[in-house]
Amino acid sequence: MEDKRITLEEAAKKVSDGDCLFWGGFGFQRPPIAFSHELVRQKKRNLTIYTCGSEVDLEIMAGAGVASRFEIAFSAIEALGLSNNIRRRVSEGALEVEDYTNLAMAMRFLGGALNVPFMPLRSMMGTDMVRLSRYRGEDKLKVIDCPFTGQKLTVVPSLQPDFSIVHVQRVDKTGNAQIDGIVGEDIEGSRCGKKLIVLAEELVDEEEVRSRPDQTKIPAMYVDHVVVLPFAAHPMMCHDYYDYDLEHLMMFHKLTGTEEGWQEYLKGYILGVEDHYGYLDLVGWPRLHQLKAKKPWGY
Amino acid sequence: MVEYSKTEFLIACASSHVRDGENVFGGTGMPLLAALLAKETHAPRSNLISEAGFIDARPREVPLSVADSRYYYGCSASIGLIETLGFLLQGGRIDVGFLGAAQIDEYGNLNTSYIGPYDKPKVKLPGSGGGNDIASSAKRLIVMMSHDKRKFVKKLDYMTSPGHLEGPGSRKKWSMVGGGPDIVITDMCQMDFDPETLKIRLKSVHPGYTVQDVLDNIMFDLLVPDDVPNTNEPTQEQIEIMHKLDPNGIYLGKGG
Repeated sequence: MEDKRITLEEAAKKVSDGDCLFWGGFGFQRPPIAFSHELVRQKKRNLTIYTCGSEVDLEIMAGAGVASRFEIAFSAIEALGLSNNIRRRVSEGALEVEDYTNLAMAMRFLGGALNVPFMPLRSMMGTDMVRLSRYRGEDKLKVIDCPFTGQKLTVVPSLQPDFSIVHVQRVDKTGNAQIDGIVGEDIEGSRCGKKLIVLAEELVDEEEVRSRPDQTKIPAMYVDHVVVLPFAAHPMMCHDYYDYDLEHLMMFHKLTGTEEGWQEYLKGYILGVEDHYGYLDLVGWPRLHQLKAKKPWGY
Repeated sequence: MVEYSKTEFLIACASSHVRDGENVFGGTGMPLLAALLAKETHAPRSNLISEAGFIDARPREVPLSVADSRYYYGCSASIGLIETLGFLLQGGRIDVGFLGAAQIDEYGNLNTSYIGPYDKPKVKLPGSGGGNDIASSAKRLIVMMSHDKRKFVKKLDYMTSPGHLEGPGSRKKWSMVGGGPDIVITDMCQMDFDPETLKIRLKSVHPGYTVQDVLDNIMFDLLVPDDVPNTNEPTQEQIEIMHKLDPNGIYLGKGG
C-alpha cells in the first residue's frame, strides 16, 4: 500500500493562491491550526475557506491576509468573545463573509460529497440570510416550492472545494483516519473536496486500524496526503490527546484586540518560527505535557 | 431571604422554563447551567444535547465550547452535526432551544450577525452558527439577553434568526418545523408573546425593577398586561446546586 506521508510544508505547498478549502474541526475541537500557520508562513493569498464554525484558525487566516473570503456560519472564540481580527478585516473591506447556518454548511458539504449540485433544508427562510448576500449574489441560496409537496424549502449550492483539510487523532500511512469524540461536519467535509489532506496527531500501524475499524471515520481511499504532527490543534483541543490551552487562548484573544497586538502575535508565534516544531518549542514542552488528556475524561 | 447574584437569578429563572422529559439544546454559558440545573431539580428526565454532536450529556465540568470534550464523558452518544441539527432538530425532535442576541424586535426576531448597515458593518458579530437552525426548527425558543435600549429595537440591523417574523401566519408560510420564541429573559424582566398578535408582552418584572424601568429601555411599544407580577426568586437549593455544577465559577464568577 502506498505511503501517503508528506511534511506540513509540502502539504501547504500543494495549495495555490485563490484555492477554495474545506476546513475541518468544530468549535474548540480538532481545528487544523498548524496548517493555518504554514499557509501564513508560505504567504498564500486569496483563499476561500468553507466551514461551519472554526475559531482561532479563521482569525489567523483573516488576520494574516491569507483568506479573503469565508463561507461560514460562525466566527467567535465562543465563551471568550468576538473574533477581533475578522471583525477588523470585515470593517476594512479586506474580508468578505457569506453567511450561512451550521446546518446549511453541513448540507453543502454533504451535497458535494454525494455529487449532487444542491441540497434542501428548512432553515434561513423569512430572514435576511435569504434576502442579503455578498459575492455569491443570486447563487447564495434559493427558496423554492417543493416539487412534490409544495412546501417552502431553502436550497443551498453544494461545495466541491480544491482541498479538504481535516485534523484527526490517528492515521495509518495509507491514510485510514480515526476520529475520537465528535465528528462535527468532518464526515461530509472530508469527502467533498477534490483532494483530501489529513493531519493526524499519531501514526499507527494498519493492524491497529483493522483491530478497531469502527473508529475509522475516513477510509484511506478518500485520502491523498497524510501529515503526522503532534499538537496540531494547539491552543485548541484534540479529544483524548490534549485539552485546550486556556492561558494561550486568552493571550491570543487579548492580543488580537488591537492590530498592533495581533502583529506581535503573528511575528512571534507564526512568522518568527521555522516550522510547527519551532512553534511548539516556543509554547514550551512542559506546558504542552500539562495539557495532555487524562483518562477517562478525554481532556 | 435568599441572597443571589444577577447571574444566579437569571440561571434559576431560565431553568424554570425547561420541562421534564424535554430534549434541550443547551449551548454554553448561562443557558447550559440553566439546563443542567433543571435536570438536577424539577426536570430529571430532560435530555441535554450539544449541537456539536453530544447527546444526553452530563458534564462534570462546564464546557467553554459546544464541541468541548467536557461534554463527552457521561454523555450517551457522541456523533456529529448532521445528527443533531439535521436528524434531531430538523426532524422535529428538539423541544426547546436557548438563544442569545445582540438585538431583538417586537416579534422576537433576532440579530446575531451585524451592527450597522450590511454593506458597511460597524461590527461583525458571531453570525448564526446553529442559531437560525434552532430558531427555525425547535418547538420552543427561550431567548436570554442583557436589557439595553439599543437591543430592543423597532427594526433589526440584520435579521439572523426568525422569531414570529411579521406576526400570525408568517412561520406557517415558510413551512417552519418549530414554533418560535416563547419566552424572553433579560436582567430586568421576563416577556412572553401575546397569542393573538404574537408581539412581545411583559410577563413579570424582576425584584428591584419596575414596569417603568422596562418601558424606558425598549424602543418599541411593549404590550403590558394589567397585572404584572414579580419574577420568582431562586431558592437556596438552586443556588447551591448551580455552584456544584460550576465549582470554579467559570460562568457564575468567583464571588457567587
